[in-house]
Amino acid sequence: MKIKITLRGTLTKYFEGDKERIVEVPDGCTAEEALKLVGIDWTKIDNFGFVAINGLRVMIYDKLKDGDELKAYSKISGG
Amino acid sequence: MLGYQNNVLRVDLSKKTAETEPLRMDWAEKYIGSKGLSIKYLYEELKPGIDPLSADNKLIFMTGPMTGTTVPCSGKLAVAGKSPATGTICDCSIGGHSALRIKYAGYDAIIIEGALDKPGYLLIEDDKVSFEDGSFLWGKGCHETEALLIEKYDHDYSVLTIGPAGENLSGMACITSDYYRQAGRGGMGAVMGSKNLKAVVVKGTGSVEIPNIVEAVKRIAEIEKEDTLLEDNTFVFDLGTTAFLEACQDGGILPFKNFSDTTDENWTDYNGEVLMEKLQGKRGCGSCGLGCGNFLKIGDAICEGPEYETIAAFGPNAGNRDPEAIVKANQVADDMGLDTISAGDVLNWAMEMTEKGIHDFGIRFGEMDKYIEYLKMMAKGEGIGKELAMGVKKLAEKYGGNDFAMHVKGLEYPQYEPRGSWGMSLAYAVSDRGACHMRAYAPNEEVFAASIPPYTPEGKGEMVFNLAQFNAVKFSLCICDFWATLSMDTMAELMTLVTGKEWTADDMAEVGTRVINIARAFNQREGFTAKDDTAPKRIFNDALKSGPAAGQKIPEEAFEDMKQQYYSVLGWNADGTLPDSLIATL
Repeated sequence: MKIKITLRGTLTKYFEGDKERIVEVPDGCTAEEALKLVGIDWTKIDNFGFVAINGLRVMIYDKLKDGDELKAYSKISGG
Repeated sequence: MLGYQNNVLRVDLSKKTAETEPLRMDWAEKYIGSKGLSIKYLYEELKPGIDPLSADNKLIFMTGPMTGTTVPCSGKLAVAGKSPATGTICDCSIGGHSALRIKYAGYDAIIIEGALDKPGYLLIEDDKVSFEDGSFLWGKGCHETEALLIEKYDHDYSVLTIGPAGENLSGMACITSDYYRQAGRGGMGAVMGSKNLKAVVVKGTGSVEIPNIVEAVKRIAEIEKEDTLLEDNTFVFDLGTTAFLEACQDGGILPFKNFSDTTDENWTDYNGEVLMEKLQGKRGCGSCGLGCGNFLKIGDAICEGPEYETIAAFGPNAGNRDPEAIVKANQVADDMGLDTISAGDVLNWAMEMTEKGIHDFGIRFGEMDKYIEYLKMMAKGEGIGKELAMGVKKLAEKYGGNDFAMHVKGLEYPQYEPRGSWGMSLAYAVSDRGACHMRAYAPNEEVFAASIPPYTPEGKGEMVFNLAQFNAVKFSLCICDFWATLSMDTMAELMTLVTGKEWTADDMAEVGTRVINIARAFNQREGFTAKDDTAPKRIFNDALKSGPAAGQKIPEEAFEDMKQQYYSVLGWNADGTLPDSLIATL
């Protein structure tokens, strides 16, 4: 299935400055698995923040559907 | 310890005297400076039960040992007193350059007592202190006041001033410096106004002594390069806190129409990227390489900011999507000396009251021209504004609408919806100055996080304690929130470099806990207990309708569970009070 991955904050360096890419991922894959396919292992990024599917925060192990937008944020701090 | 001037300027406005005295270094060793040390002075010097708007209250401007050194992001000043909004202790952190100038004038702190018999301002030029007539400034906005004083003196002076809101003793009155920087919360501007003190003008030409200066400055420069000027922190240079808007929207904690819901389907009308298209210029505080300040101009509206809090308060939470109206309301509130968080929450509550037919305040969601006029009326104490300036707690007691009066202890809610971040409801409840997001920023741990569930009480007491302990140290140093990668180890190393005394991360943590405890002890002495650590009924009763947290409300038993967890971590009693054994350590 095809999904769009959008990166926010400092994570855009993983797309060489691009904010988003359309990528092919296996059916039923999780946010965590989809990000790994594009070279982003959140467990190894100190300032990895959170993920949202179609504008709604989810847990990293939640599953994607065809056509979804997966957004990944770097940490946000301050107030 | 070096890093300090070992000198306090104590000003008695009633007697028009200004005398110096040594800093209590024994207290500085336990509370460091800024937040912690100012609270210690107030705990020791204020009689319990005083009227915050009487001459008995004191206003403290407190620097820290790093102020005026090359330590990055250290150019902030604590402003502290007993809050007229809440009756609790209150300390605020203000950026700009005033902290450096106070330190360079030779003082760790200025303690202001008593009250002038007519409007005036305090002029400090190194060791020369004078009491000046301020009648020509009374009634003027913060911007004009500062411009007049800078024109009268020079650009190497700093001005800390109040606007009409402070003169009229509103509990949401700020103290302003560098035109757009505020000691914003809890009504410190009203404390200044109650003393007839329109401004403090300060120039300092001295310096700060630190040990082994060549090696210390070299190491501090390395720390800045390796730990401050990282992309994890420099995002604040690009987008500032406007970046939070999208994250809060997707995270389900962006408040909408007085916290009646979260998220806004039209959030892109006023998001960070839209606002930044109107960027006119940048600036930062003294000692800061991050430079978060963004000057925007939309139409004839201009401000430094708007920051996330103001965008949310004057935007979706007001039912408004017009970025020009957000910037204009920000400009007016800053000039009037009004806290945008509290003023926004009051007007947003008043709009809901009107729309629900409970009481007609003559304003409905999205009516921003009227909103901006109401801000001016609130600050000037005119017409309906005089009532609105009382704050949402007192208004709800008079008119009803208590279920959706968003405050804790009389301080209005910041713009992070706690039903989408349960830990934030605890952080607001137990904060030392009423509802505050700067004491423990829970969303960073439980919403902007990949694998931590936000909608549970589990572990939230310890989580909020850890955040509060860290911030209590950071704001006692006093280092800016935007150095996001800062650690206890780095703070300990910086303290060692600046003071010449060996500090460890454990020492710093101990200070953080002590600062939380003394603030609590101050409030306990004023009669506050667990029953005052509350949340608005809306948080318990009304499930959110939209966003990722749709369906969420916080069960009261879960909230009480989080509170008890927090008390337990700190060793407090179940009723939220400190045991005598802890009070004895303060």
